[in-house]
Amino acid sequence: MEPLETLNETEWDVVIAGTGIQQSLLALALSRSEKRILHVDKNDYYGGAEAALSLQEAESWVQSVQKDNSTVLFTDAKIEQAPNVDEEDGPKLGFSRAYSLALAPQLIYTESKLLGHLVSSKVYRQLEFLAMGNWWVYTTDTSTTNSLQSTSEQEHKNGKLVKVPTTREDVVFSDKSVDLRSKRAVMKVLRFLMDYEQQTELWEPYSMQPLPTFLTEKFKLPTSLHNLFLALTLSPDTPANTTTAYALSRIARHLRSTGRLGAGFSSVIPKWGGLSELAQVSCRAGAVGGAVYVLGKGIAGSPTPAPTKENVSTPLNAIQLDGGDAVNTAWIVGSEADLPRSPTNLSPTRTCSRSISIISGPLTSLIHEALAEGATPSTTPIGGTVIVFPSGSLNGFADTPPVYLIVHSDAMGECPRGQSVIYASTSGKQEINALAVDCLLRQVAAEPVPKVLWTMQYEQHAGSWQEDEAVEHEGVITMKPSSLDLVFDENILSEVESAWKKVLGDDAGTFLTFEDRNSVGDDDDGDEA
Amino acid sequence: MADAGASPAPKPSSSVKLVLLGEAAVGKSSLVMRFVNNDFQENKEPTIGAAFLTQKCNLPTRTIKFEIWDTAGQERFASLAPMYYRNAQAALVVYDITKSTSLTKAQHWVAELQRQASPGIVIALVGNKLDLASPSSSSADDADGGDGGDEEADEGDARKVPTKTAKAYAEEEGLLFFETSAKTGERVAEVFTAIANAIPETQLKGPRGAAGGQRQEESRVNLGAAKDASAKEGCAC
Ligand SMILES: Nc1nc2c(ncn2[C@@H]2O[C@H](COP(=O)(O)OP(=O)(O)OP(=O)(O)O)[C@@H](O)[C@H]2O)c(=O)[nH]1
Ligand SMILES: [Mg+2]
Repeated sequence: MEPLETLNETEWDVVIAGTGIQQSLLALALSRSEKRILHVDKNDYYGGAEAALSLQEAESWVQSVQKDNSTVLFTDAKIEQAPNVDEEDGPKLGFSRAYSLALAPQLIYTESKLLGHLVSSKVYRQLEFLAMGNWWVYTTDTSTTNSLQSTSEQEHKNGKLVKVPTTREDVVFSDKSVDLRSKRAVMKVLRFLMDYEQQTELWEPYSMQPLPTFLTEKFKLPTSLHNLFLALTLSPDTPANTTTAYALSRIARHLRSTGRLGAGFSSVIPKWGGLSELAQVSCRAGAVGGAVYVLGKGIAGSPTPAPTKENVSTPLNAIQLDGGDAVNTAWIVGSEADLPRSPTNLSPTRTCSRSISIISGPLTSLIHEALAEGATPSTTPIGGTVIVFPSGSLNGFADTPPVYLIVHSDAMGECPRGQSVIYASTSGKQEINALAVDCLLRQVAAEPVPKVLWTMQYEQHAGSWQEDEAVEHEGVITMKPSSLDLVFDENILSEVESAWKKVLGDDAGTFLTFEDRNSVGDDDDGDEA
Repeated sequence: MADAGASPAPKPSSSVKLVLLGEAAVGKSSLVMRFVNNDFQENKEPTIGAAFLTQKCNLPTRTIKFEIWDTAGQERFASLAPMYYRNAQAALVVYDITKSTSLTKAQHWVAELQRQASPGIVIALVGNKLDLASPSSSSADDADGGDGGDEEADEGDARKVPTKTAKAYAEEEGLLFFETSAKTGERVAEVFTAIANAIPETQLKGPRGAAGGQRQEESRVNLGAAKDASAKEGCAC
């Protein structure tokens, strides 16, 4: 292949716009095809809405969100640095590059199809996954603590953290003082959930009703225990707005995933920045396959049909890149945010208030304490924990949505040794994230008391653009913007698969299934792309 | 060198992510090919995008598995390298001793790595194509005394970058320094062994950067276990 001096007037089979998780997985899926692929991103970093940033990158990211609204999916970003970080002996922030903070952290359940694809495509060899251990729910209701008490609960005058039981053992081995009737009710719900799909007659009448109604009427589960199950839904909404159908499928997924890849956990996260790392590993595979990568260059103008050439049957799209390069391509694939659209056409459907806090201490007691039976920190690679602050638990108003804290230890490689990172998110106001983080730090029995060294707050929006005639035409494949879910969105896989099929047509083969490119000490010279 | 022979007691093993950077045609891929396959090609194709290879390196007390990312020198848009040196524990910055501009390019790479890569990254500066220099100009112990230091005096000597110059620069920046020939294999294995030795034990597989860590290879979730596990029921309820 000739060295490329400029992109202007080049011709491609596929131009992929954006390096978010969807586009990166597509690049991976196409990495063994013979297609000529140009992969561009308007940002000068990889990962799009799933990027992981150093402190310096986070600062420029905040500036770009504040300045221009090219990043319509993010707004209201700001960074606060604790004033005491300059103190002589106080805890300090590390180097900018010692951090890799994920804009949109997501859990990958062990039953996710994604993990199978990562194995069959062989890219899992370049990733390291750590598990999310116990889940905790903050409870202010004393009756809960009396009825189902965790042995390792951490008391506080206003409330305490209770471990969420997900297995029979969790329930049986919980505190002796537990009221047997409650235990039995919890067990009954857990057993039902393992094959709830088969018991439609029981729950279908409730599918559009709130989960608490179902739990009360069908299982006589005391109200004080509802939060244990609501926590596992990771629902952004209040209990009254969390339907039984939605909740059951999500809790069941959690339970089915528990113990699948090891004792004591149900979900995993890639080290070094979560989905951002996965996006980069996928792009690398694309590059090894010969794709050309250009950062800091987006699609500048709407694609237009290019004049068809003689002897060429495939329709061509002509597109303008930032900086004026004109390229032709058979296919152009991007997320809605990466194809040129007017921001005013965006209608946000949901908003998530997020914050990322760097904590001066390790929070070990939460992350490693009371692992499941048979699991120890040395046999189970735990990198974090999930802490749920149910609706109203922080301020007493039942219409305040829950706050979810995903705590990452230093083992995740996102902060220097001895520190930790708390990712907070809520569909409520930004302030309750801060309340939750504060409350958590007060719960941790550690000396010295861990402090927040640095926080970044922002709002992320999910929405859809109005159909844009100028953009939608043959050869243009539009992917949805990233979801706000705290769990990896399985729909991404079908979206990527359908784009991959469109591009490759009949000789597509098996989705994301490849041989190793070379093995250790291989004899054949498999070193060329 | 990287002998994968069976040893009686398994040594602790860790992986090291290594990235090769440098101008086009300086011999990055050839160095890797020499290290991994003990082979050399006279007319090697330029690398497109990047290539990924692995090779083990046995040290007396441990085994290092190199995960090698060989980048394309002709990558015009400079968009790939950051992805490769992110989280890399080692970098091999290569220049061609017969081409002065390639050392300048190497110095740019070193500066970028120092600015952008993990703070603890081990960097080796490697002057390749040593076989094209005459032995007198190559000797590492040349005090530049010799016979007047006349460059054109040596007929078969294509060397343009004096050892002294590159070595002084490497020392100043705290880099490992080697001159190699991928063609003859001279000193190629030493480069990788030196890198393996230069990576502090605490750095292996720990959180990235200066922070280090002491996690072993096995302390990560094994996705390969997924298939077997899925056959059984997930939960004990
Ligand atoms: N004489 C001699 N030639 C070498 C040596 N190493 C590489 N070459 C030759 O130099 C040319 C370029 O080598 P490559 O290994 O492809 O260089 P590269 O740095 O990987 O180049 P890019 O992939 O384009 O960045 C090939 O023709 C090699 O045969 C060496 O040590 N001595
Ligand atoms: Mg090469």
